[in-house]
Amino acid sequence: MRVLMLTWEYPPFIVGGLGMACYGLFKALAELGVTIKMILPTKDEVFFEISKPEEADYPVAKKDDNNRYQEEPLKFFPYLYVAPEETTYASIGKILSTGPNEEAVKSKVSSEVPHEVVQRLTFILSQGNHLLHKVSLYSNNVLKLAEKINFDLIHAHDWLTYPAGLFLKKKFKKPMVAHLHATEFDRALGYGHPVIHEIEYIGLNYADRAIAVSHYTKSIAIEHYKVSEDRIRVVHNAFTAKTAQPRKIKKFKEPVVLFLGRLTPQKGPKIFLEIAKKVLEQGVRVRFVIAGAGEMERELMLEASSLGIGTYIMFTGFLTREEVEEALSMSDILVMPSVSEPFGIVALEAMHFGCAIIISKQSGASEVIENAYKVDFWDVDKMVASIIELATNQDRLRELQGKVREEVKNFTWRKPAEEIIKIYREILA
Amino acid sequence: MLYIIFYFQVHQPFRVARYSFFDIGSTRSYFDEELNRFIFNKVSEKCYLPTNNLFRELILFSEGRFKISYSITGTFLEQAKMYRPEVYESFQELLKTGGVELIAETYYHSLASIFDLDEFIEQVAAHLEIIEEEFGYVPRVFRNTELIYFDKLSDVLLNFPQIKTILIEGADRILMGDSPLYPRFSYNHAHLLLLKHYKLSDDIAFRFSDRGWAEYPLTAERYVQWIKALTLGETEGRNLYLGLFMDYETFGEHQWKETGIFEFIKRVIELLLQEVDIRFIFPSEAYQTLNYTPKGLSVPTPTSWADTERDLSAWLSNPLQWNAMKTVFEFLRKAKERNLTWLIPILKKLTTSDHFYYMCIKYFQDGDVHKYFSPYDLPENAYRYFINILTDIEAKTEA
Repeated sequence: MRVLMLTWEYPPFIVGGLGMACYGLFKALAELGVTIKMILPTKDEVFFEISKPEEADYPVAKKDDNNRYQEEPLKFFPYLYVAPEETTYASIGKILSTGPNEEAVKSKVSSEVPHEVVQRLTFILSQGNHLLHKVSLYSNNVLKLAEKINFDLIHAHDWLTYPAGLFLKKKFKKPMVAHLHATEFDRALGYGHPVIHEIEYIGLNYADRAIAVSHYTKSIAIEHYKVSEDRIRVVHNAFTAKTAQPRKIKKFKEPVVLFLGRLTPQKGPKIFLEIAKKVLEQGVRVRFVIAGAGEMERELMLEASSLGIGTYIMFTGFLTREEVEEALSMSDILVMPSVSEPFGIVALEAMHFGCAIIISKQSGASEVIENAYKVDFWDVDKMVASIIELATNQDRLRELQGKVREEVKNFTWRKPAEEIIKIYREILA
Repeated sequence: MLYIIFYFQVHQPFRVARYSFFDIGSTRSYFDEELNRFIFNKVSEKCYLPTNNLFRELILFSEGRFKISYSITGTFLEQAKMYRPEVYESFQELLKTGGVELIAETYYHSLASIFDLDEFIEQVAAHLEIIEEEFGYVPRVFRNTELIYFDKLSDVLLNFPQIKTILIEGADRILMGDSPLYPRFSYNHAHLLLLKHYKLSDDIAFRFSDRGWAEYPLTAERYVQWIKALTLGETEGRNLYLGLFMDYETFGEHQWKETGIFEFIKRVIELLLQEVDIRFIFPSEAYQTLNYTPKGLSVPTPTSWADTERDLSAWLSNPLQWNAMKTVFEFLRKAKERNLTWLIPILKKLTTSDHFYYMCIKYFQDGDVHKYFSPYDLPENAYRYFINILTDIEAKTEA
């Protein structure tokens, strides 16, 4: 089975959890014999092949199915990176007007992408917005590259790649899976950018199958995007450890409570700050570490320092992958107070590093994890009480840390990969 | 008579390293030795050496009629001896001309006067000591870090009976329309206050090379005309005192050599030396030359020479700055209580005002100035490194 994967993130080019999820999933798919051809937002016209599991760590860049691409390093344009040169790309309309590939085998798609939808998408992408412009260039690149690639189906991850997925489906008459890792409702905490909502709506509804990373996310898709129940499946994320049981590092005398994630409203860093304030006010000696970067950094730092708490609330700034692991190794408790979290792989990762976890009920992870304090994100007092309980009761903390280390072993990517292959089979049948 | 008092601030901080969260617990040095050495050498070549040379020649050429005064911080002297002994020697040479007065301040150029008066007294004493040790000189004039002044400071300085005069900012807020050319008594009449003429000082220090300034390019002749015009308002024969106070780095560092700053200042001094009614004096000489009794001046809240607000907002206008400064003085107090001799000098170096200046997030024009002087890309980072260092200190002292 050859799957054309469309994704905006892949290690080492990671913005959030999407890149980590793709890595784990692709590797597990490769183990089960799926050949992955991945197109990333690169400036160069290349795709990456993963046909053996070990290639997931260092995907091979190719110009077409037969030729490896030599030039290194590759230039990317994720989110804030430089925009690609436009001249190298033709217009989407023009590419599509060359008509469907006549050699394509008889169509497997369950529903056609209507011409009006393609027109609408093309129109949306032609708007001035910087990010949409990148999406448009990416879609172009995908359409051109796909000519040189043999594949059986399309698997697009999140809205940035849905337009490209739909164009491919239209042109090559191959079925498409739209994977929903996060919705605009999560990112914006309510209604977000109307154009992004529209792309998500179109992507999920004109794909042959949609995959949500949790029941929580599935319900958003059904409620807000009217995706029909029989075309959407839930496949929970997982975590495959790269290393054996990591050792705990003791850096501070007092227990360390960690927030790990982008500093955006979605992730609830302000709630974390509120928790920290209340715990410290009660005189419990705990060190709070806010790890990550993001638009709210200054605001959070100003608020934290105005509490006059000296060194007890710390900000690490942006972390590399290695530093993320180091931060987890030295932490005793991870709090994930997300206001709306489709899944939250960080919770699984923290478990692997032996952190007791306190996670919001508004997360996909809370659907599957057993040994965790699950609290509504707004219930600050309950989170405070949980931290104090753990910080003042070493035995309870150690017990819970031992349990999560065991439990996380059940969350390998193998099961999700098998479920996804089942979905592939359904739509190819 | 119009007396001109030239006063220059000579200071370099020990800038902290980009000390990350993950450096905590390691043996990494708190201070960026390489950066401090680099900056010291750069400023030495652009400013200290050529300017010392120029002023030395002018003092010798004028046979001592040209006079200047400096406050040189303890951290500067430490760096000069470590990184560039010839700068240290060049100040020694300059002092030998007899045309130089040295002024007392806090050894670490800190805001101890705001946070911890015991520490303030310690830092002033330490500065007096090093100036006497290095230069054989006993200062009789005091200037607080960045000209910070408030009434209580005069009371505290009674601990140092040799100090008779204090340099302060001629801020509109305290002068309320009065001229900065007339010295004042402190509210308790214990000290003579000499005021900075901020317009004429900042014309050189900030605006000289500003192409957007209406007076650009400023010639020495025009500047001297402005000075001479100052005497027109005085009809009772009272002596006037023009305080031209600025960072020494104005010459060659803030205003580059290419702007013509050196030629300008040389020409200004030469022209002023030709005037019969204008004389250069040391700040300590103001007392003897007064031909009237100065008025008292009350300054209940602190003024300074920094930014357009001329208050403490350059170092203490946001919670990052408050938390960092509060914490470092707190740690210092604890270290003294526990007599942690290895730690005290480190914490004292961390009280230097520059660390907090880099954490400033005021916008508009001043933000630019802060950014120009900051070795870190963002105020958040300046705060982060500083707090990480304090956390490491905390962990090491608790162990």
